[in-house]
Amino acid sequence: MPTVIALDVSLSMSRPVVLSDIPEEYQRRHLAVHGINTYLDYLSANYKLEFVSLVAFSYLYEQLSTFTRDYNVIRTALNKVEVFSKTCIETALNGIKHVISDEWSHTPCQVILITDGSLGIGVGSLKKSLETINMRQSVEEKFPLPFPFPCKLHIVCIGNPNDPDVRNALPYYQRLIDVGDQGGEIFTLDGAISFKSVEDTFNRLAEKYYNPFCGNLTCGNFSCAIQLFPKPELFIRHLDDGKVTYTVSDKLEILGFLDIKDIGSPPTVARHLVLPRSTKEKTDAKDKDGKNVKSEDDDDSQDDGKTPSFTVLLHGSLRVESMVAITKVCDDWYGMIYSWADSKKKSNLMLALFDPGQDSIPWTGSFDNLTSCKEYSSEDEEKKSSFPVKPLDKRSYAQSCVVWIKPSGLQSDIQKVLRHARKLPEKIHQFYKELNRTRRAALSFGFHILLDAMASMLERECTLLPGTAHPNAALQLTHAANFLRSDNAFDVMQSVTPLPTNFSSGNTG
Amino acid sequence: MPIDECELVIVHTVPLGQEIRIKERVQREISPVVSCEVTSSLSGRHLYNKLVFLCCKHFDLCSTTVTGIPMKEEQNASSSANYDVELLHPAAAHDDLFKNEHAEGLVIPSKEGLPIETAPLKWCTPKSNVVELHQCSAAYRICPVDVNSRPSSCLTNFLINGRAVMLEQPRKSGAKVISHMLAAHGGEIFIHSLPTSRSILEDPPSISEGCGGRVTDYRITAFGEFMKENRLVPASPAMLERYGNRKPYLYALDQLEKSSRFWPMVISDTVLFNIQDINPLPQLLLKDSMTDEEVLDCKKVILKVVGMESKNDPLPVPAAGSRGKGPKREEQYRQLWAEMEALIRSYSDTSEGHAMVLECLLRCKKPGDDPVTLAKKTPGKKEDKSGSTAEVEQSWKDLDRFQQMTEREKQDALLGEKSLDAPPPKKLKSEELLMRSGGQTLLSMWNNRLKTIESKRSHEFDGRLDSDGDKARLYIHLDENR
Repeated sequence: MPTVIALDVSLSMSRPVVLSDIPEEYQRRHLAVHGINTYLDYLSANYKLEFVSLVAFSYLYEQLSTFTRDYNVIRTALNKVEVFSKTCIETALNGIKHVISDEWSHTPCQVILITDGSLGIGVGSLKKSLETINMRQSVEEKFPLPFPFPCKLHIVCIGNPNDPDVRNALPYYQRLIDVGDQGGEIFTLDGAISFKSVEDTFNRLAEKYYNPFCGNLTCGNFSCAIQLFPKPELFIRHLDDGKVTYTVSDKLEILGFLDIKDIGSPPTVARHLVLPRSTKEKTDAKDKDGKNVKSEDDDDSQDDGKTPSFTVLLHGSLRVESMVAITKVCDDWYGMIYSWADSKKKSNLMLALFDPGQDSIPWTGSFDNLTSCKEYSSEDEEKKSSFPVKPLDKRSYAQSCVVWIKPSGLQSDIQKVLRHARKLPEKIHQFYKELNRTRRAALSFGFHILLDAMASMLERECTLLPGTAHPNAALQLTHAANFLRSDNAFDVMQSVTPLPTNFSSGNTG
Repeated sequence: MPIDECELVIVHTVPLGQEIRIKERVQREISPVVSCEVTSSLSGRHLYNKLVFLCCKHFDLCSTTVTGIPMKEEQNASSSANYDVELLHPAAAHDDLFKNEHAEGLVIPSKEGLPIETAPLKWCTPKSNVVELHQCSAAYRICPVDVNSRPSSCLTNFLINGRAVMLEQPRKSGAKVISHMLAAHGGEIFIHSLPTSRSILEDPPSISEGCGGRVTDYRITAFGEFMKENRLVPASPAMLERYGNRKPYLYALDQLEKSSRFWPMVISDTVLFNIQDINPLPQLLLKDSMTDEEVLDCKKVILKVVGMESKNDPLPVPAAGSRGKGPKREEQYRQLWAEMEALIRSYSDTSEGHAMVLECLLRCKKPGDDPVTLAKKTPGKKEDKSGSTAEVEQSWKDLDRFQQMTEREKQDALLGEKSLDAPPPKKLKSEELLMRSGGQTLLSMWNNRLKTIESKRSHEFDGRLDSDGDKARLYIHLDENR
């Protein structure tokens, strides 16, 4: 879930802040930068695979850092932030939309917009933007919200909660989140503006929206503490009568295993890295206040590397055997765990979630219906009911139906009959089969003149027979042509059968 | 069936060459549930095009043309030409394609002459037959526009025979963007949409960087077998009948639970699974019930271990492991016995036969051995029944202490092994350590050892197995014959 930090760098952000306990003078933007650093610290400790980009905005916007996992790049960029003109949130949102769609297409994202409660003045002000939201004519002028990709919009307001400007601004911010329609939250400071309150606010945001997903992966009696990245989102399915919400539970249960060739390449709605979680982490977290804990941390991580973990065993075997583990993540929601490599060198364990529901993969059938291969007493019995699960109906491309949409279709069917006619009496059965097929199709289309035309063609073939031809060929051709001209030919229930001759047994049997 | 909504479409058609005299009408509502539309068409091919168009509209379909399919010429098999095949499928398969703002030039008029647009995607000849797992965001069924034309059936047959074809977007920049894949499953052909944008999972950490990543002797092959034993298959109708209300997957879970009761993950953590002689014991234990013969097979394995121990056969244990270097042979046998007990105990309540195997093991085991459980290393939960955790901890600590001995001490210990008959006094130090674990004196331990070796030297008289005490009655069937 990539994040865009959008920092307000308008003049109002350089208003001084009076801090009781610190003699130096600070500006709001300094506090904002401090807050962002707090947030980045949290990510480095708990959510280090997150991609973050920094956008600064005032009347214009500028992407100061592209999406990166190296948060020092962002810290450096923050130090160079300058102050520009007035706040224009619509510009910021347009910029964010551009930055995200360029890079991520349809990936869910989060935006943290940091401002100070001033809505801007004049045409570009948030007040004006929201007033004119429904009056935009052209596509270019369209209000950037809701974003064309899934995106949460958080707004952090660096200002005293009692400040009249801030109190005035909050309803507009809420309106913005409502228009965005994809979630998000307003974060205001708890108490007067200070480094501490800004820090607390950013920590609150990070802990709520960037807490890693912790769960347990079980496989029979094996159990392993794991973390999923990115954190799984709710899956909401809209039905005619309301909606159903699916949540990944903290107990991921492996049901069994499948060969990659049996699972095919099934459609998936999300993918998450399955990372083993150190069981020691919890006790460490408690000690984190003291800084001397750090060295112990290093020791622990080394120990962790040497303590066998089920995920590593699973990963190794899945890769060697080319298999996947079918995993239940909550009621009626399943996924597969497999070994995945971005480059050839580094591979890891991945959980890909299927569409929620029992029948999301037609070729494996319902998940509830899967059972252990040991339930079959013999291999033969198992083969009868193995993958892929076949549909009841045969598709039109998988059977020889007659299609005469274009002249070429009819032509090739007639040619087939003639090809067999020329190889009589060897191809006697194929000849009559194709002849009947074509005749039946002509009758069902009401294409009756075709029968007479076919009779003429067969008669012509008869006259063109070479002298070396078997006498039976001429007999069969004449017989077929006569039938096509008879009244019986128009009866769909009838079919023309080979003429019994003295030769037939010798030649075909 | 109650009808909630009805769209009535009237298609007026006239033979070719005649004039259409009816005016078309766009869709309009007649009542809240019925809407009506009048449309017209010439007959023949035109009618067909009209119907396909209406289908696309109604079912929200769109078209893809697979371009540049290499195909042998019908008449001249040595040369090949490139063909295009147009397919219809749900429009959602192209969601990603058109979400992109650079979608210009991605659609062209239908090559089959349909009144719709089609997205041309280039055929990429598959390099191998190996089925790979592709990341895929959606899969929809397809149908060729001209179902049975030669190019169409060539493509569909190719796919139904199990090959997958990647499709590439035409890009002027020359960058290769593969956005779709055609593949058949169970005789049905699907178009798979593959994500083309940047992934947030790029450059993931390697599994070796995480917890347990530096352990190198996982039982990968054995777990591969475990996975094959726990493969999922669709339940047959006969099975469903037998299962009644219980869902089939629950039987798979049972199997998974059963086969993972005692399963050390690392080679250096187990003696049991490193020796061939243990077969077929673990496999037989998995059965729901055992025949007398199978029980006997299990007992044979146990007796074989007894024999090995009495002969002091070396056990194949990998030299390097996470627990330090080469534990003493005696220790290995202790671990082997402990593992065997844990393994057999975890299945002992399965059937009478299983219980008999456990009984046999308990009798054969050296009485001095601690009821060591291996809870620490295995996922099992059942073996906790034996021994208290305190004892387990103690015995592991002792084992660790042994392993922490200096290299010299260990060598002494190993040297001692070779001349069992006359243990040199040097050995005492390590021996002492071991003694404490059992809570025995040296004398009692030595006596026990002699006793076990003694008792195992000859095969137990079968008649005595069934008897009450030490004495066995001979000719028990003698009276019956009279």
